[in-house]
Amino acid sequence: MSINKMKFLVFLLMFISFGLITGCSSGDQTSTGDSNADSGSGGGKGKTTITFWHSMTDTSGDAVEEVIKEFEKQNPDIKVNASYIANQGEGQNEKLLTAIAGGNPPDVAYFDRFEVASWAAQGSLEKLTDLAESSGITQDKYYPFSWKEASYEGDLYAIPTTTDSRLLFYNKDQFEEVGLDPENPPSTIAELEEAAKKLTIKDGNRFKRIGFIPWYGQGWFYGWGWSFGGKFYDSSTQTATANNPKNVEALQWITDFAKEYGVEDIAGFTDSQGSGAMDPFLTGQLSMKIDGNFGVASIEKFKPDLNYGVAPMPTPTGDNFTTWSGGWSVVIPKGAKNKEAAWEFLKFFGGEEGQKIFSKISRDFSVIDSVNEELGYKDDPIFSQFIKILPESHARPVMTQGSLYWNELASAVEGATRGNGTPEEILTKVNEKVNSALKE
Amino acid sequence: MKQEIKNEQINTAVHAPVVAKQRKKLTKSSSIPGWLFASPWIIGLVLFYAFPLFSSIYYSFTTYSILQPGEFVGLENYYKLFNDELFWKSIYNTVYFAVFFVPLSIIIGVALAMMLNMKVKGMAIYRTIFFLPTLVPQVALAVLWMWLLNPGFGLVNSLLDVVGIPGPNWLGSELWSKPSLILMSLWAIGQPVIIYLAGLGDIPNELYEAAEVDGANWFQKTISVTLPLLTPVIFFNLVMGSIGAFQQFTLPYTMTQGQGTPANSLTFYVMYLYDNAFKFFKMGYASAMAWILFVIIMALTAVIFITSKRWVHYQGK
Repeated sequence: MSINKMKFLVFLLMFISFGLITGCSSGDQTSTGDSNADSGSGGGKGKTTITFWHSMTDTSGDAVEEVIKEFEKQNPDIKVNASYIANQGEGQNEKLLTAIAGGNPPDVAYFDRFEVASWAAQGSLEKLTDLAESSGITQDKYYPFSWKEASYEGDLYAIPTTTDSRLLFYNKDQFEEVGLDPENPPSTIAELEEAAKKLTIKDGNRFKRIGFIPWYGQGWFYGWGWSFGGKFYDSSTQTATANNPKNVEALQWITDFAKEYGVEDIAGFTDSQGSGAMDPFLTGQLSMKIDGNFGVASIEKFKPDLNYGVAPMPTPTGDNFTTWSGGWSVVIPKGAKNKEAAWEFLKFFGGEEGQKIFSKISRDFSVIDSVNEELGYKDDPIFSQFIKILPESHARPVMTQGSLYWNELASAVEGATRGNGTPEEILTKVNEKVNSALKE
Repeated sequence: MKQEIKNEQINTAVHAPVVAKQRKKLTKSSSIPGWLFASPWIIGLVLFYAFPLFSSIYYSFTTYSILQPGEFVGLENYYKLFNDELFWKSIYNTVYFAVFFVPLSIIIGVALAMMLNMKVKGMAIYRTIFFLPTLVPQVALAVLWMWLLNPGFGLVNSLLDVVGIPGPNWLGSELWSKPSLILMSLWAIGQPVIIYLAGLGDIPNELYEAAEVDGANWFQKTISVTLPLLTPVIFFNLVMGSIGAFQQFTLPYTMTQGQGTPANSLTFYVMYLYDNAFKFFKMGYASAMAWILFVIIMALTAVIFITSKRWVHYQGK
């Protein structure tokens, strides 16, 4: 009996260790596969496969595909394995975060540029300073703000790829319909309010058409704060200044607007709207909106005969127009396995050639001025307006709590328009929260 | 015959201590393969549950950010949490949801189960219909109800319009967003209903017959027979329902794209925890939140268990 039991135990142990061995060896196999690939890129035989995570669909999805195709043609020993990741950018990067923490990140990731600083501060991105130096990539090719956003404490962590700016879109036919001059869009806040009132058609508590909604589309608070002359960050003391009096003024105006039109009625209107072809500006249900140049692509695609114009975001005084620019970049996450091949791809995507392919199809602006010029953006009646304002444009503060600040400002607008405190109280709270997070 | 049995009894009585000793030895040695068989599960439990669980206690005292180990800060995370307005708001939202959802789910669930327990032709079809929503994934459920509750062209408001009631902007209004969510959650109530149905099937028919002989009507039978004997199942669903309600996440998160809009009225506790952990690099803070939630749920479950002695009636007791 005991011998039988011994046999059984031995068998069991064999079974378990067998499981462990196969478990480990499957891990070994993948790592040898990788090292093979690595040597392949050095020796010129075999292919290196780099993984690339991005969040692009629609026209920019097509554009990035073309970039990859051309890159693979020029670099026959590198294969780009691109996967779409739904949540990447605009403050949502959970998948990338866990992949980096787990030591198994993609080789390249498409990355919202305003978050580069916070991620670099966490040590989660590869430093690109030396690689850029040895490849002769320098700052002077790019728009200065895009380079600044891609750097943190003097080191480069990302290669900028796109930029944008935000303007007021307005429907010229509807302007004519209510007796407004279609060639003379509102330039002051007072004019904007007046135009909005004229354009709005309300039936009971339902809007048939609404003239303007300050926070709709790209009407983020950064844009209004800067248009009112406010400031969001003091880089010398490294503190947030959300409750700058001009910012408070801007939020007060938004709040008054919400009160006048009924915030819940507006929410009822916006919740019923779609995107793409169903965008209310395209369907004629919204006469004016703040949107970026990327909004032009969907108008061209879904409603090319829309008679519209663009103008700078109105300011209280009707001058000192400004806007803000974001944009994307490509990064190498910390722990990426094929850094060299990844860098080749970054270089290509961020270089003139890649930029030309991408910007042409996606209609996103390049971060390289000459590319924008070559693609004719400066001659186009609509696009030239977006390019023209770039020198006056702001970029979101380069800070370690960029995502938190962004989310806090978004809920500040939400809270103020719903009447959960005065604009000053709310912005002061935002300021305290962000500053206490910055100190950590 | 009698004599023989007696003899045997004496025999066993005499041998009993020896046998017991052997048995003890047997159980001791034979438990090793048992442990070995269980080891994959035990290793998994220790490695993937116990270890992270207990490390999160430590992390709740640090500024751990997933990417960086952070520093030890003592009770600072907890201190900060108690001064964090959104933390309290998320607790309020979560308690609001639990307080309404759990009792409603019990009342509606029991009522539904009783209806589905009637002896009517085609009952299997009705049961299937009420169970079907449970099979809908949470994300699909969110999308579906966003359309139904759409203030502009949603089915719910169109129906209300027909009756002459102007429907509210369900998910876009601070007042109605949480009730909407409760409604959506109640729609997928099939799982507890199945358990209630099993509980109803367990009640012996004799009791109903006896009640009928005593002249009890339907209502009296329900109050005095059905409900008391259903209490063990209600107890189970109450505990599981409360725990589930405090962990509400998927539905509001997908519906609001993680924003908890409007005005944070749908920011639930676990959503805020998730944001801190995976968006703001504050895993230490999030760990502290997780432990506070654990204490709350633990206390609540304890209270339910203690009071259960008074209102839960097990059959055969």
